[in-house]
Amino acid sequence: MSTKVYTETHQLSDPVAERAPLVLGGLDFHDVTEIVAKPVEDKIQPLWVLAFLGALTLLGVYGISVAWLVWEGTGIWGLNNPVDWGWAIVNFVFWVGIGHAGTLISAILFLFRQKWRTGINRAAEAMTLFAVACALSFPTIHVGRIWLLPWVFPIPNQMWVWPNFRSPLLWDVFAVSIYGTVSLLFWYTGLIPDLATMRDRAKGKIARFAYGFFALGWRGSHRHWINYESAYGILAGLSTPLVLSVHTIVSFDFAVSQIPGWHTTIFPPYFVAGAVFSGFAMVLTLMIPTRVIFGLKELITTRHIENMAKIILLTGSMVGYAYAMEFFIAWYSGNPYEQFAFINRMFGPYWWAYATMISCNVITPQFFWIKKFRTDPVIVFVLSIFVNIGMWFERFVITITLSADYLPSSWGYYTPTIWDLGCLIGSFGLFFTLFLLFVKFLPMVAIAEVKAVMPQANPHWDGYHHDDHDDEPGNDEEAA
Amino acid sequence: MPTAAETTFPADHSWRKLGPIALVVGAVLVGAAFGVDGSEHHGDFYFSYLVGWMYVVTLALGAMFFTLVQHAGRAGWSVVVRRTAENMMATLPVLALFFIPIFLGRHELYHHWMDAKIVASDAILQGKEAYLNEGFWTGRAVFYLVMWGFLGMYFRGRSVKQDTMTDPAAIEEFSRGTERRSFVSIAVFALTITFAGIDWIMTLDPHWYSTMWGVYLFAGAFMSALAFLGLIHILMQKAGLVGRIINDEHYHDLGKLTFAFTVFWTYIAFSQYFLIWYANIPEETSWYAHRMGNSWENVGLLLMIGHFIVPFFFLMPRTIKRIRWTLALGCAWMLVMHYVDMQYMIMPVHAHHGVHLGATDFLTWFGLFSVFFGVFILNAGRAALVPLKDPRLKESVNFVNI
Repeated sequence: MSTKVYTETHQLSDPVAERAPLVLGGLDFHDVTEIVAKPVEDKIQPLWVLAFLGALTLLGVYGISVAWLVWEGTGIWGLNNPVDWGWAIVNFVFWVGIGHAGTLISAILFLFRQKWRTGINRAAEAMTLFAVACALSFPTIHVGRIWLLPWVFPIPNQMWVWPNFRSPLLWDVFAVSIYGTVSLLFWYTGLIPDLATMRDRAKGKIARFAYGFFALGWRGSHRHWINYESAYGILAGLSTPLVLSVHTIVSFDFAVSQIPGWHTTIFPPYFVAGAVFSGFAMVLTLMIPTRVIFGLKELITTRHIENMAKIILLTGSMVGYAYAMEFFIAWYSGNPYEQFAFINRMFGPYWWAYATMISCNVITPQFFWIKKFRTDPVIVFVLSIFVNIGMWFERFVITITLSADYLPSSWGYYTPTIWDLGCLIGSFGLFFTLFLLFVKFLPMVAIAEVKAVMPQANPHWDGYHHDDHDDEPGNDEEAA
Repeated sequence: MPTAAETTFPADHSWRKLGPIALVVGAVLVGAAFGVDGSEHHGDFYFSYLVGWMYVVTLALGAMFFTLVQHAGRAGWSVVVRRTAENMMATLPVLALFFIPIFLGRHELYHHWMDAKIVASDAILQGKEAYLNEGFWTGRAVFYLVMWGFLGMYFRGRSVKQDTMTDPAAIEEFSRGTERRSFVSIAVFALTITFAGIDWIMTLDPHWYSTMWGVYLFAGAFMSALAFLGLIHILMQKAGLVGRIINDEHYHDLGKLTFAFTVFWTYIAFSQYFLIWYANIPEETSWYAHRMGNSWENVGLLLMIGHFIVPFFFLMPRTIKRIRWTLALGCAWMLVMHYVDMQYMIMPVHAHHGVHLGATDFLTWFGLFSVFFGVFILNAGRAALVPLKDPRLKESVNFVNI
C-alpha cells in the first residue's frame, strides 16, 4: 500500500485545488489510534506528576481562600462601596468566556464543515467544561452565604419567596448551567466511540470496566453510527445558539443597567466575540505545549494553529471594533456621563488596566496578519498568553467602571487583597487539575473523527489498490 | 465538470432583453414617483427613495460580504453561486449614481441637523457638529460609495479575469492572491457599512444613538443577499440558465444560511430593543417610542412575526430548503420582510402620523429594484455564469451536504 506522506511544507503552502491534508506523516488509521492512546496507556510520567502536584497546590490555595471566605465573608476581598462587584465577577466572566471556544469548535465549526476542527475539538471541549466549572464557582462563592445558594433556583416554597425573574443574574444561573449541561452531553457523545476503543485496548480490569461502563456498550455497528451521527448533528444544532446566548446573558449582567460604560447595545455580540477570542487563546495556550509533550504534532498540525490564529485575528478585530464603536458613540451621544466614563477609563486612575487591555486585545492579534507569525508555534503561544491577560483585564476595566459613578464624593478605588489573588490563582489550580486528569485518562484527540477526515476514509482513495478500480477517474478526490 | 452550455448566458436568451428594459423601466418609475408625489418639498418622495435605495444597496453589500467571506474562508461549496453574488455587488457603481437624489434631498431628509436654525437652538447637536456637518457628511458618502464601487468591481473583475487563465499554477496563485486581498476588504466593508448606516439612517434622528446600529444593518443586509441568491438561482434555472450545476445541495446551504441570518438579525434586533427597553433611558427609548404608536407598532409586530417567527419555523426543516418552490417562497418572503425592516428603520421619522404606503413608496421600491436587477442582468451577460477556472469549482459541483 502506497501512502503519500504529506509534509508540513506542503500543508502550509496553501494548496487550492486539492485541500491541504489535515493529518501529516503518512499515518494510517492504526497509527492514529496508537498516537492518541499512548499518553493514556503509558506509565505516569514524572513531568505529569510534577505538573499535577503544582496544580493541586494551586487548588489548595483556592480551597483555603474559599474556606476563609465562607468563614469570614466577602469582606476579605477588596470590595468597597461603590465597587461592590470585584474580582469575583471579573473572574466569572473571564472563565465563562474561555468556556466558549470548545463548543464553538464542536458545534459551529461542525455546521460549517470545518474539518480541521477534529484535531482539537476534544481537548477544547474538555477545556470548555473545566472553564465553566471554574466560572460557576465564582458566583457561588460570591453570594457570601453559600448555604443559601439554593435560593437562586425557583424552588416552590411555603413562603412564596422567589428569585427575581427580572434579574439577569438569575438568567445567568440558567444560561450557564444549560450551557454546561449541553456541552457536557456533546462532549460525552463524541467520546463514546473513543471510550470503546480505549476499552478494547485496556489491559487492566479496572480500566476495562471504567471505559466499558462509559462506552455504553458501543460496538461500532452501522446502527450505532447512524444514531451517533444524528445525535451529534442535533446536539451541534442545539449548541450553536447556546454559544451565543451564554455570553449574551453575561453581557446583560452589565448592559441592562443604566451605568455609563455598562449600558450599551453592542454588548451582546461584543461579549460573544470576546469570549470566542479568549477561548481560542486558551486553547492555543494549552494545545501548543500539549501537542509537543504528547507527540501529537501530526494530528494537531501547524496548520491547525494557523487557523486558530486567524480566528483570534478575526474575533480580536471584532472586539477592537466594539471598543471603537463604544468610544465613538459615547462622544456622539453628547451624554457627558457616558463621555466621562470612557475618558476616565483611558486616562483615569485605571489607565494602566485600560492600556493593558488595548495592547493585549487589539494590538496583539494584529500580528497574526503575518503568516510567519501565525505559523510559528512559539510566537503564537506567547501572543495567546497576552490575549488571555488582555481578556482578564477587559473584564476588570468594565467592572471597575463602578469606581467613579454619578456622585464624586463616593468615588473609590479597588485594591485587591491577598484573598482576591488567592481566588484567581486558585481557580487556575482547579482548571489545571481537571485538565491534567483529562489528558491522563481520556483520549485527548477525537480518534474516530480524525480518521473520518483522513484520505483513507474515502472509499475511492488511491491508496487502496483494488485491482479493477485502480484507474477509475476522479478516485483522488476528497469526499465533499 | 460543467459544460459550456451550462456556464454561458446564451446570446439569444430572453433574459438578455430584461437587462436594458429593467434599467429603463426602473429609471422611469423613479421619475414617475417624483412626478406623482405631491408632498411639501417632496418629503414623501425623498424618504421613500431612501428606503428603496438602502434596500438595493444593502442587497448589493450583502452580496459583497458573501463574496469576500467565501474567498477568506477558502470555501469550496459556494463557487458555483459566487458569480451571481459578484454580479450583484458589481451593481454598486451604478447604485452609487442613484445616490444623487438623496444628496439633492439631503436638507429634506436630514433637516433635523442640517438646518442651521435648529442646530443653533440645540446644544446636543452643536456638540456633534464635528461629525454632523454637511461637508463631512458628503465627503464620507463619497468615500463609502467609491470604496464599495471599487471593491465590487475589483473582486468581480479578478474572478472574471481568472476565467481566461490557463496555467494551473498561475490560477492557484491567483486564488491565493484573491484570498489575501479579501481580509482587508472585509475590514473596510465592516467599517464603511457601519458608518454609512449611521450617516444615512441613524442620523435621521440625530439625538438617538445605539452602538449596535452597524451590526443591525449588516445583519439585514447579509440576510437579504442570501435570500436573493437563493431566489434568483431558482428563477435562473427555471429560465434554462446554469443547467444542473447548481443542485439541491447548494440550495440547501443557501437556505441554511438564510435561516441562520434570519435568526442572527433577530438576535441583534432583540438585543438592541431589549437593552433599551430594560434600561429605559429617555435618550434611547425615544427611537422605539416613535415606533410604538400611530400604527407603527403593527409594523414592529409584523417584523417580529414575519422576520423571525414565520421563517424560523418555515425554513427550519431540511426538506423545505431542498425543494425549489418552498425555498423560493421562503426567500421571496424574506426579501419582502427586508423591505418592511427598511421602512421601519427610516419611515417613522417622516410619517409620524402613521404608516402610509403610497404610490411613491411602491414606485421608488420597484423602480430602484428594477435598476438593480437590470444592472445585475447586464453584469451576468458579460461573463460566464460561474467562475470557470476557480480551482475549487469541481469541489463545489460535487459537494454533498451532511
